[in-house]
Amino acid sequence: MTAHHLSRKELASWVADLRGRGLRVVGPVEEPSRGGAAAYREVSSADELALGGGLPARSLKEQFLPPTEVLFGFRRSRDGVELIDTPPRALATVLLGVRPCDAAAPELLDRVMGWDYRDEPWFARREATTVVALACPGVDESCFCTAVGLGPDDSRGADLVLTPVKGGYHVDVVTPKGEALVAASSARFAAPKHAEAAAEFHRAAREKVERNVPRVGEGMAAWLAGNFEHEVFSRLALRCHGCGACAAVCPTCHCFDIVDEPEGLFGGVRRRNWDTCQTAVFTLHGSGHNPRPEQNSRFRQRVMHKFSIFPRRFGETLCTGCGRCARACPGGVDLPEIVRDLEELVG
Amino acid sequence: MNLYQPHLVRIEEVIDETVDTRTLKLVFESEALRESFNFKAGQFAEYSVFGAGECTFCIASPPTRRGYVECSFKAVGKVTAAMRELGVGDVMGLRGPYGNAFPLERLEGRNVVFIAGGIGLAPVRCVIWNVLDLRDRFRDVTIVYGARSVGDLVYKRELAEWAARKDVKLWQAVDPGGQTPEWKGEVGFVPAIVEKAAPSSRDAFAVVCGPPIMIKFTLPVLKKLGFAEENIYTTLENRMKCGIGKCGRCNIGPVYVCKDGPVFTAVEVAALPPEF
Repeated sequence: MTAHHLSRKELASWVADLRGRGLRVVGPVEEPSRGGAAAYREVSSADELALGGGLPARSLKEQFLPPTEVLFGFRRSRDGVELIDTPPRALATVLLGVRPCDAAAPELLDRVMGWDYRDEPWFARREATTVVALACPGVDESCFCTAVGLGPDDSRGADLVLTPVKGGYHVDVVTPKGEALVAASSARFAAPKHAEAAAEFHRAAREKVERNVPRVGEGMAAWLAGNFEHEVFSRLALRCHGCGACAAVCPTCHCFDIVDEPEGLFGGVRRRNWDTCQTAVFTLHGSGHNPRPEQNSRFRQRVMHKFSIFPRRFGETLCTGCGRCARACPGGVDLPEIVRDLEELVG
Repeated sequence: MNLYQPHLVRIEEVIDETVDTRTLKLVFESEALRESFNFKAGQFAEYSVFGAGECTFCIASPPTRRGYVECSFKAVGKVTAAMRELGVGDVMGLRGPYGNAFPLERLEGRNVVFIAGGIGLAPVRCVIWNVLDLRDRFRDVTIVYGARSVGDLVYKRELAEWAARKDVKLWQAVDPGGQTPEWKGEVGFVPAIVEKAAPSSRDAFAVVCGPPIMIKFTLPVLKKLGFAEENIYTTLENRMKCGIGKCGRCNIGPVYVCKDGPVFTAVEVAALPPEF
């Protein structure tokens, strides 16, 4: 793996280069009222990037699966209906300063989005995007990426990984796509100067996360499948309000709704909107029957899907351990704590 | 290709089955599709009213009759209420076919027992006509159909047709209290009528669809009659949106009903967590 050094000053020039080449640059952007990075947004210069501190409150997911998206339009006339194509917006983009727990998520979702039927809007945006990850400088007590096999320095889903070092960033090249991005602005990158410091940064960050939650064992998926009606789920769900904040901030929750939005008397669009399995209406049948009638069954579904259903189907945990659900929950439901509890039960 | 963009279909016929259940016959706007649209008995589609949204139903007409599809529905929500407002000549959307199918090839050369309750006859009707359109490939055909009341029986003209056929044994029933003075069929719940009809399980497959409670009490009767669980098929109707395994809605335990189903054997259903 080749490596480079990128000084803070050259980072600013690099962002200007990228924009000059017509690429959108999207990165964590601070929102002072929230006391930290709020979300990944398009920036016009490196000054706007919030590369230090905690995780952006919102995940990277919306860069690939927007909260709301037009699938196509329609217009009714006297003798029929005309459908109007609305090609997905997939602009060439560099995602810069992506936390490893966010960078790893889209690859997991590729499995669902490409499963027999290929979701074009999703893959169009995936292909138009280069991911420059940032080894995590903001590990806190809700982080548990190492428990799910990732880490604050993980390169999964990234084309380049930046690690904060003295005067700038140590840059590890992960993919040819990342190499090409560096090659196009080669003057900005110097020979690596602080490889050891970067390695030390990785080790320290990893150690900090590892203290939070032990590694999820191989027995978890099978245990959950075999203990569907275990009392632990009703106990754990007592604090859940069913608001779905966890799913909204989650990098891997991908459930969506499809709805029509009339525009004027004769036209309209069909949209897909984020949805969550935490609401009663999610599974409500037309007859009034609801397969998940209580909050504990809906809460269980979220845990099951991430730690049993998806792993049994696709061989991987559908959670990157970002801990956002725990930070966002108004009721104090704490997934890292739940994973710890479940691991104890699994034994 | 946009996965979510439907084919356009025009309503050619509106049939009121009961006071609240209606069947629409939908013909593809595209002539090419009228020729090329293929599906298998048991598959479902996403039907849409532009401006109201999409709704999931089985395809109620058999694949042996080409160029159109039929769906039967009750107006219980936003989309079905909008469907209720449509008439002959109106245009709707249709995505599909999706999901797996009843394994007709397994049923060939065997006796087939169809058991349905209420609107649950819709998916079963698709298989019944498929079998009857290829009648000489199958052996005895028995149909047990029950509804809450005489007024709730769907596909009445077809029930009359099946009743008149010598190569079909039809048992029609209504729940106790649902009969009229003129009612000549059975009075009782579907599981009891199945027990009374006592179709032989020898070389036989059963296709069962209806409300969860009906299925729950019919399965033990079938077992008592000697039907092996792997020879009993049913179709699950979970709430769906995308129909193609992405939106996460129809997930029950490890199963995505839209991709792994909607047709399951009783063995497969028994293995699911109690969440459907």
